[in-house]
Amino acid sequence: MRSDTTGSWTPVALSRDLPAGTVIPARIPAGPIALWRSESGCPTASANRCPHRGMSLSHGFVRGEALSCVYHGWSYAKAGNCLRIPAHPGLTPPEAIRVKTYAVEETGGVIWVAMGEPSSSPMKLEGLLALRSLTAHAGIAAIEAAAGAKAGPEGLVEPAEGTEAICLLLSAQENGETLIHVLLRGEAGPAARIAASRAAESLRRKAEDLQKKGIAQ
Amino acid sequence: MKLYDYILSPSCYKVRLMAALTGVKLELRPVDFHPGAEHRGPELLALNPAGSIPILEDGDLLLTESSAILVYLAAQAAPEWLAGSKPEEAARVQQWLSFSGRLTASLGGARLHEMLLRPGDIGALQAQGIAALRELEAGLFEQAQRGKRFLAADRPTVADIACFPYVALAPDGGVSLDPYPTIRLWSRAVRALEGFIEMPGIHRLHELKPEPTVETGDA
Repeated sequence: MRSDTTGSWTPVALSRDLPAGTVIPARIPAGPIALWRSESGCPTASANRCPHRGMSLSHGFVRGEALSCVYHGWSYAKAGNCLRIPAHPGLTPPEAIRVKTYAVEETGGVIWVAMGEPSSSPMKLEGLLALRSLTAHAGIAAIEAAAGAKAGPEGLVEPAEGTEAICLLLSAQENGETLIHVLLRGEAGPAARIAASRAAESLRRKAEDLQKKGIAQ
Repeated sequence: MKLYDYILSPSCYKVRLMAALTGVKLELRPVDFHPGAEHRGPELLALNPAGSIPILEDGDLLLTESSAILVYLAAQAAPEWLAGSKPEEAARVQQWLSFSGRLTASLGGARLHEMLLRPGDIGALQAQGIAALRELEAGLFEQAQRGKRFLAADRPTVADIACFPYVALAPDGGVSLDPYPTIRLWSRAVRALEGFIEMPGIHRLHELKPEPTVETGDA
């Protein structure tokens, strides 16, 4: 994977895990973000810190087209500007009060966030179904060793053996952990999706075991 | 019905939550769990020699163990919260009721260690808590593939109420909930239920209420 991540896309979550009107915590190389989807379905990535008192905005809530902080209810638009300060209902919040926002793209059931100005679109995941995300207490090298395949430049691992036709989209997290988005080839019914989820869990166990034994340093 | 209750106890909250969701009125008898350790005093040990709360008194009936109390409330007031006649559903309810005991031991143990300085191996408690959360995450994912939004069925049951509080309070024990997207969706579904009530550390979904408006003027 690239070490310089400025301008490149990070796969932060699956579309299915961010319904309209919700906010979730996520992480990009710049730090934690509040990833939220407005009622109308638009995804936004905001820095995870309310400029008022520093509360994590991922603890907040989405009402209509705005993200609100759970602490004092300050709410922010998709562009990051402050829309409302409930304790001062007559005040139009000054332009200076804003949270940083990042570019977001949603493709193939995956939500990607970029720092800076990305020069291209995120990779297409054609013929792949975004199944579930899980976090491994293992680095990318250990996961590659467990899968028997190397990650491509954008973090896609296609395991060598036919492990339920799953692919893994990897994103390095802090503390040596790795976020794994599990992707499944082709159309699959419930039984195949459950089998793929279990295969991914086995692969995670194997990777964490390798990590613990220090084989894949 | 009288509940021997402690506001910060997730197990007591299970009973308060179940009662609120099923419209049962409870008389609350506060127990000085901390720092008084009243649950280990003579009056409460006479009711429950195990020295645990909640304890539910209904006339001559005395019940301990939160899962048993949940089943009692549901059977009294809202049988749809119990397993139906399908064998798998009945088994799943039992599976997650048993599992809830592991949540209490692991995530609950870590929370007591961090909040009330109870002795214990915090690293081991947190690791057991993470293992339990992973199991719950996978279980909920699989249920979703079967078209079911809750642990045992496509409707909430006593199993969901038994598991919800210790999961929602995992961060109190230093265990992050960030890595579990399916648990997050389930937690939202529980908090969106009609009649849901809060406890300290578990808040309602503010977005379900309209935006509060204040008279403008002297802002």
